[in-house]
Amino acid sequence: MKVRFWGVRGSIPVPGRTTSRYGGNTSCVEIRPRGAPPIIIDAGTGLRRLGKALMEEAFGDGRGEASILISHTHWDHVQGLPFFSPLYRAGNRIRIFARHRDTHLEAVFSQQHGAPYFPVPLSAMEAEMSFHALTEGARFALGGATIASTRLNHPWTALAYRVDVDRAAVVYCSDTAPFTDLLLGREFMVCAPSLDRPLPPDVVAELARMRASVVALAAGADLLIYDTQFTREEYRLRPHWGHSHPDDALAIARDAGVRRLCLFHHAPMRSDDDNDAILARYRGIAAAAGDRFEVLSAYEGLELALGDA
Amino acid sequence: MKIRFWGVRGSIPAPGPETIRYGGNTSCVSVHTRSGGLVIIDMGTGLMHLGDELLAGPFGAGAGSATILLSHAHWDHIQGLGFFGPVFVPGNSFAVWGPGGSSEVLEEILEGQMDPNFSPLQTLKNFSARFDVQAMRLGVPLTAEGLTITAREHPHGATTALAFRITERGEPGEPGEASRTFVYASDVGQPTAGGPDPDAVAFYRGADVLLHDATYLPADQATRRNRGFSSYEDAAAAAVAAGVGRLVTFHYDQDYSDDDVDELVAGCRRALDGRGGAAIGLVPAREGDELEI
Ligand SMILES: [Zn+2]
Ligand SMILES: [Zn+2]
Ligand SMILES: [Zn+2]
Repeated sequence: MKVRFWGVRGSIPVPGRTTSRYGGNTSCVEIRPRGAPPIIIDAGTGLRRLGKALMEEAFGDGRGEASILISHTHWDHVQGLPFFSPLYRAGNRIRIFARHRDTHLEAVFSQQHGAPYFPVPLSAMEAEMSFHALTEGARFALGGATIASTRLNHPWTALAYRVDVDRAAVVYCSDTAPFTDLLLGREFMVCAPSLDRPLPPDVVAELARMRASVVALAAGADLLIYDTQFTREEYRLRPHWGHSHPDDALAIARDAGVRRLCLFHHAPMRSDDDNDAILARYRGIAAAAGDRFEVLSAYEGLELALGDA
Repeated sequence: MKIRFWGVRGSIPAPGPETIRYGGNTSCVSVHTRSGGLVIIDMGTGLMHLGDELLAGPFGAGAGSATILLSHAHWDHIQGLGFFGPVFVPGNSFAVWGPGGSSEVLEEILEGQMDPNFSPLQTLKNFSARFDVQAMRLGVPLTAEGLTITAREHPHGATTALAFRITERGEPGEPGEASRTFVYASDVGQPTAGGPDPDAVAFYRGADVLLHDATYLPADQATRRNRGFSSYEDAAAAAVAAGVGRLVTFHYDQDYSDDDVDELVAGCRRALDGRGGAAIGLVPAREGDELEI
């Protein structure tokens, strides 16, 4: 399979000179199994460019097929959908998978996609769209690929995905806070909770269970893509935002025995030079710790060939 | 007044090396008045960067206030709100005026953006600053920040968008005591290829600066007329008909590279000259640029 990054940024797109090397588009990763339709993870603004590229292939003639796995529906993970050109061509088939909500998934996307926020309602899309609600831990087949998922530690929760195909595995873990200090759910926290107060035992147990599931999901993966929006210091100021940092990502990668770790969901204000420095620093830390995995930092246009490519 | 461009792009932010010169952030313009007032027009992604700058002043200490004018609630005009630092500082206050016809409807629309399915903020009530949302009444002048502001509803595809006419009175006795007028008219639909709407022209009449939707090159507009945007031809025609001092091109299509926008600006200059508007100054909106009236 081939893995290509179309959007690597978190929270909000950041155009500009200081972000042009890593890219300013929000989360979108394309997985292309050999000879099979693309499996796309997240529909941030990077999806717009991917859509244009796909229109050069079967999608341009209305013969395209794609599956989109949504980690969660925060704007930075869905904003590209209304700008995904294949949706505007009859004959294309787009399947959208996301964790179930209280409201039907299609209703959630319709709200995002319709008046007064966007001029073209979802119901006017020419392509055939279908919505598939997933439970946490869902496991299913997509063509020759096997998809597995588990819950992440993020406000209103998010799903991590593992895609196994062509004798390789890629795991996408974004967005998530570390599984150590707080359990994020439906409650809104105005300010950062204290990280020093002891947690109730049931929360500690739940976090430990979630972390073990993430490690199990990533076990032996060829590539682990991980939310590292924060540095460790930044995380301590905003743990309730539901994002992690490279120290935590390295620990997960180590426990899961992955082959490559890719830092992802870069903070909007992180300049290209900042990202370079973070990558150099954590390559050094991984080397000093004797880690056998390679550390990468995601940038727009990065393409990796895994397994039978 | 001093006008500054924080986001000049239409529809969706367009990051990338090919948009660096004009900028890829969506609509946001600030107007600083001579007496220290601040008006912010539209809350696209450019708003985040304006917010970062404001935090260095009174807004960082919870002592800031501003008036926000919202043209309409398409994403590219509201997306920056959740990332606007000053709303998270207690003590700041914002008066938001926008479309919707009633304050309840407008508030509901802005709440919808913060819906927990889409935003970790969950609700506007989680802002720490005062954030008063009110519907702009068409044709009724609003006095804010020492300015007189009137709104007009323009067609915009299947919906409408508000344009704003902002006038600052001159100081009596000083040279140039005459008032100064800035008109913001983004997302202006041109349903037919005819000339500019006479009512719109009357609204723009005599403005020192007219900022006008110039999303498209004419050839692209021809195939996308239903989307409710103007071409540079439409912008030039409106500027000449209204006899404005300067025209600002704005809201460039997300697919246009800097070179495409250069072409759009050159075309607009030719269109002004060709219509007898050689005396009208042309200012292409560029992220970070400032314009003084
Ligand atoms: Zn995110
Ligand atoms: Zn999120
Ligand atoms: Zn717009």
